[in-house]
Amino acid sequence: MEKANISGYQLFVLIFLFEMGSALLVPLAGEAKQAAWLVILIAMVGGFLLFFIYYGLFQYYPDQLLTEFVRSILGNFLGRIVAFLYILYFIYLAARVLRDFGDTLLTFAYPHIPLFVANAAFILVVVYTVRKGVEVLTRTGELFFVLENLLLMTFFLLIVASGMIHLNNLKPVIEMSGTEMVKMAFTKTIFFPFGEIISFLMIFPYLNEPKRLKKIGISSIAAAGIFLAIIMAMNIAVLGVDLTTRSQYPLLSLIQSIEVAGFLERLDVYFLFLLMIGGFIKISVFTYVAVTGTANVFNVKQPSRLAYPVGFVILLSSIIIASNFTEHMHEGLGAVPIYFHLPFQVIIPLLLLIIAFFKNRKKKKGQHQNKFQGGVDQK
Amino acid sequence: MASFFKQKRQVKQREKKKEDESQSQSKTPDYIESSLSANLEIVKKKTGKSPDIIIRTLKIGINPEIKTTILYVQGLIDNPSVTDFIIESIMKNPHLSKNILPLEAMEIISEDVVSLGGVERVTDWEKLFLTLLSGDTIIFIDGVNVALVASTRGGEKRSIQEPSTHLTVRGSREGFTESNGTNIAMLRRIINTPDLWIESMKIGTVTKTDVSIMYINGIVKEGIVEEVKKRLNRINIDSILESGYIEQLIEDQVMTPFPTLNHTERPDMVAGNLLEGRVAIFVNGTPFVLIAPALFVQFFQSVEDYYNRFDIASATRFLRIIVFVISIVGPAVYVAATTFHQEMIPTKLLVIVAAQRETVPLPAVVEALLMEMTFEILREASLRMPKAVGSTMSIVGALVIGQAAVQAGIVSPAMVIIVSITAIASFATPSYAIAISARIVRFGFIICAGMLGFYGMILAFIILIVHLCSLRSLGVPYMTPLAPLNPKGLGDTFFRRPIWAFKERPQFLTNENNLIREGDNQRPLPPESRGMKTSDGKKGEGNES
Repeated sequence: MEKANISGYQLFVLIFLFEMGSALLVPLAGEAKQAAWLVILIAMVGGFLLFFIYYGLFQYYPDQLLTEFVRSILGNFLGRIVAFLYILYFIYLAARVLRDFGDTLLTFAYPHIPLFVANAAFILVVVYTVRKGVEVLTRTGELFFVLENLLLMTFFLLIVASGMIHLNNLKPVIEMSGTEMVKMAFTKTIFFPFGEIISFLMIFPYLNEPKRLKKIGISSIAAAGIFLAIIMAMNIAVLGVDLTTRSQYPLLSLIQSIEVAGFLERLDVYFLFLLMIGGFIKISVFTYVAVTGTANVFNVKQPSRLAYPVGFVILLSSIIIASNFTEHMHEGLGAVPIYFHLPFQVIIPLLLLIIAFFKNRKKKKGQHQNKFQGGVDQK
Repeated sequence: MASFFKQKRQVKQREKKKEDESQSQSKTPDYIESSLSANLEIVKKKTGKSPDIIIRTLKIGINPEIKTTILYVQGLIDNPSVTDFIIESIMKNPHLSKNILPLEAMEIISEDVVSLGGVERVTDWEKLFLTLLSGDTIIFIDGVNVALVASTRGGEKRSIQEPSTHLTVRGSREGFTESNGTNIAMLRRIINTPDLWIESMKIGTVTKTDVSIMYINGIVKEGIVEEVKKRLNRINIDSILESGYIEQLIEDQVMTPFPTLNHTERPDMVAGNLLEGRVAIFVNGTPFVLIAPALFVQFFQSVEDYYNRFDIASATRFLRIIVFVISIVGPAVYVAATTFHQEMIPTKLLVIVAAQRETVPLPAVVEALLMEMTFEILREASLRMPKAVGSTMSIVGALVIGQAAVQAGIVSPAMVIIVSITAIASFATPSYAIAISARIVRFGFIICAGMLGFYGMILAFIILIVHLCSLRSLGVPYMTPLAPLNPKGLGDTFFRRPIWAFKERPQFLTNENNLIREGDNQRPLPPESRGMKTSDGKKGEGNES
């Protein structure tokens, strides 16, 4: 653990940007059609539940990182293995986001640049940031938070001004049945982006006011969820269900359709800006978490030294993870939620929480008895 | 037995040798001797008989037995005070006319004769030379192993003039000079409180430069003064020739193009900063005073912002920030747009630009780098060259590089426009220090834009932001109050709150117990009687007639 201290507001901002990250750009819960925004909100509630699991774990071990308390719960050997699996999971997630990001960039703006170059340039920036530590990352997040919100507000105003919102596109609001929506929210949308908050178990211990964590976590997840729902609703209202669900990047189509006053058009660069801010924060958080985790598990004294090797691993895996974008997306929607997200975001934390609960109950009882005995002795 | 004594003797001899060596290394003894001639001999030896050290032997009154010598350095002293208050009064003082002992003479001289502000007794040579070489006059009396030091510092100094940097339309015309004493006095004149504390030290093993730190006790945050003192005491260097030496030796991060300490020539700017809880470092020999800690937003503030009304001040400050951004990304945007993102440019403009670029043999990146380099060369040359050849420079710059290069088809006219705008923009930043950093960073942006278009530019932007966020100045994060966010401090960043709404000092700099800087209800209002509703019977007051 490095010596760092982050404030509640900073954590809020970081979680918000992290959740918005790449979820902003893809057709989130696109299969739900008009009800996409509703599914996002349901998934957000699911996100609260997941957050409570993580919060429970945090409360048992408020000054330990995920990789540390796993060892306190499961014992040194088994704990180390699980911690290592988590590190691999974070590296994999970082690689996935990087690949997403690189492919998006190549598809929409730079068809001639090799994927490796685009990703390498980006991971260099990320490694530079990670080497500076979590405080710098959160401070950067604060500035980007303002920037991203300014950009989104501007878009919103421009879209409203250009008169493209057709609320009829959002009807019928509920085409699917309730159970279908819940099923969808809890099998897909909850893992991406809400469940990924598990990586913050490596950042929560730096919070300088741990008592407020519950409020901060819930409010940032809620803010991000509501924002995402609004954006998705806006996508559908402007582009229509058909175009939104078929488009790879509905937000890009939305931005490209803006045309105000004859000169405010072709605002692709702003999409690029949003894409990069979101991608940067998300990859940086995952990389940071992977680096501190590795340092923690293998007792490396200077975590910043690991930034380059871990960054290199992420870069290479982002290239070899899939042979093309379609395969990448297919994996992301099919195998990853079941084989990675479900165990790492739900099952293992839940098991850990249960074990921690029993372990700590014993301890507390023991302490209580000791106290009682002590009292008797004094008499 | 014999061998035992032998050994002992050898040891003694060795010790003696050591003592001899150590004595020969430090030739002068530590303390002043009572013999006058011996003392003068030491002074001559130590200073290499430098002719500017004046040694003048006097007769005390009518007492020829006691010899007195005064020592001073020509040019460092205030001539009238030495001649009138030391030489003349020693020669003509009636108290000294009696038959007295040397020690008594000394008492009388220090208490009665020398009518100057400060008279001190010195016994060790080190202090004696220090005072002598800073302009004090030394009085030796034969037979006394104590010297008197009379403070006669003076000599030629530059008078107070208008500062040549940080110019303002409105505001004080005073600028700092090279003399520490004058500079500190200027601050005393502005901030009239005993809480204005000053601490002095000598830094530089050879130059022994006067360095003073100034702060307002009670407003400065605890720890900051100690931190500054700790960093200054750590300095072990032969010379301090300018405050830049100190700046480079005490800053938090070395590898950064951005200034993490501020410097200024304006006393009112120092005063304003002291009142916010900062610490000023005065270095003798330079008109530039360091201010610490420095924040990023501070480099966009001009003292005039506070003298103008808040709306005007806010507008100019906003303009400065836009200008700073232009001076960093100006050419890079042009390069990225013409090489990678032609679709961004409106069609008509694109046609014009493309037509201009048709004849240009170089890619836009090279063109931009070439023109920027040319501009930097022009700027550097015009700074250093003698003033007499200034007009030649401007002709060469304007005609050869501007006109001829375009006509020859080497650069496009659009590029010349872009470079000129950036050049002007880089000079519109009030702080020269941060304008230089912008210029360096600009080259990085151009190269990134040339390689990867806007993608490269945004990557460079992210690195820039991360770098700025990683900096600290005396432990305070450089981007405060933006990141970490301090909502109250935002009133003095991109816009400036009205003076009557500046309730508190910035809490990230100031002592937490002393934040309030003005009373409630400072907002000025028109007289009540002018209001529409008042009709309390008094006639005449509320009427326009």
